[in-house]
Amino acid sequence: MTRADRILIAAIAVAALLAWPLAAWAAGSDASSVEIAGPAGVSVLRLDADATVAVDGHLGTVRVRIEDGSVLVADSCCSNHVCVRTGPISSPGSVVACVPNGVTVSIGGSDRVGLDARIR
Amino acid sequence: MSGSTLASAEVAVARTFADSAHRTAIGAALLACACVLGLLESALPAVLPVPWLRLGLANLAVVAALALVGPRTAAFVSAGRVLLVGLASGTLAGPVTVIASAGAIASVGVMCLLASYGPRYSMVGWSAAGSAAHVVAQFAAAAVVLHSGALLVLAPASVLVALVLGAGIGLLARMIVSRLPSR
Repeated sequence: MTRADRILIAAIAVAALLAWPLAAWAAGSDASSVEIAGPAGVSVLRLDADATVAVDGHLGTVRVRIEDGSVLVADSCCSNHVCVRTGPISSPGSVVACVPNGVTVSIGGSDRVGLDARIR
Repeated sequence: MSGSTLASAEVAVARTFADSAHRTAIGAALLACACVLGLLESALPAVLPVPWLRLGLANLAVVAALALVGPRTAAFVSAGRVLLVGLASGTLAGPVTVIASAGAIASVGVMCLLASYGPRYSMVGWSAAGSAAHVVAQFAAAAVVLHSGALLVLAPASVLVALVLGAGIGLLARMIVSRLPSR
């Protein structure tokens, strides 16, 4: 590894570390709601109310389950099932995405509702 | 034109053809390696603790192509890999390929840029910076494709992981390239 390699890697690492608090701030601290975004739109649900939601994705239905203060993708018609294998999430800013279906599930969506309402 | 000038011109043309054939053969072999590594990696998530984490094994072939042949072959290997792995895994027409393409273009672009500086940067630097660019471009593309910035929250941590994994892939590529017989 050359000196220039080390400087470049350190510079990228510092940039990522500086961006970290920004990402944490953008994620917010609200762990009481869950935002489910799909091709048809966005819905925000309470994390403390157990529910099962069927979201229409690009390929088919993605089943999202809220239980015991956490949310998970219970079932998806995608081929690799990365979303299902991610398991339950509950901390602010945590995200599960089913990319082939265009569905994202994130904790703390309530503070972004206004922004989404303007965009969509 | 004298006889000796004609002969040297013929030798030069033959050498050019041989070089071109050599570049094509290396590029094709590395494309095959990249596809196998890419498909192998797509079967790996079941054994990794974080399901969306990728080691970037296919980048090994792209780094080797850049070191052995040059930027055009590296771009060919990278683009061919995205196309063929997308075709084999049935995701070619979907958002997965759009995101993979964004990552591949950014990664090859950064690596070729660093390689153009000559020996100042090594394969480790190319691969680490290429992996970081790959991750940033993929998150940006995912935000556009999914119409949601929620995933960007994961970007800083993913860049740090990509730096470590990219440096590892660069070291491995350097080891492999240094053991290949010189032509």
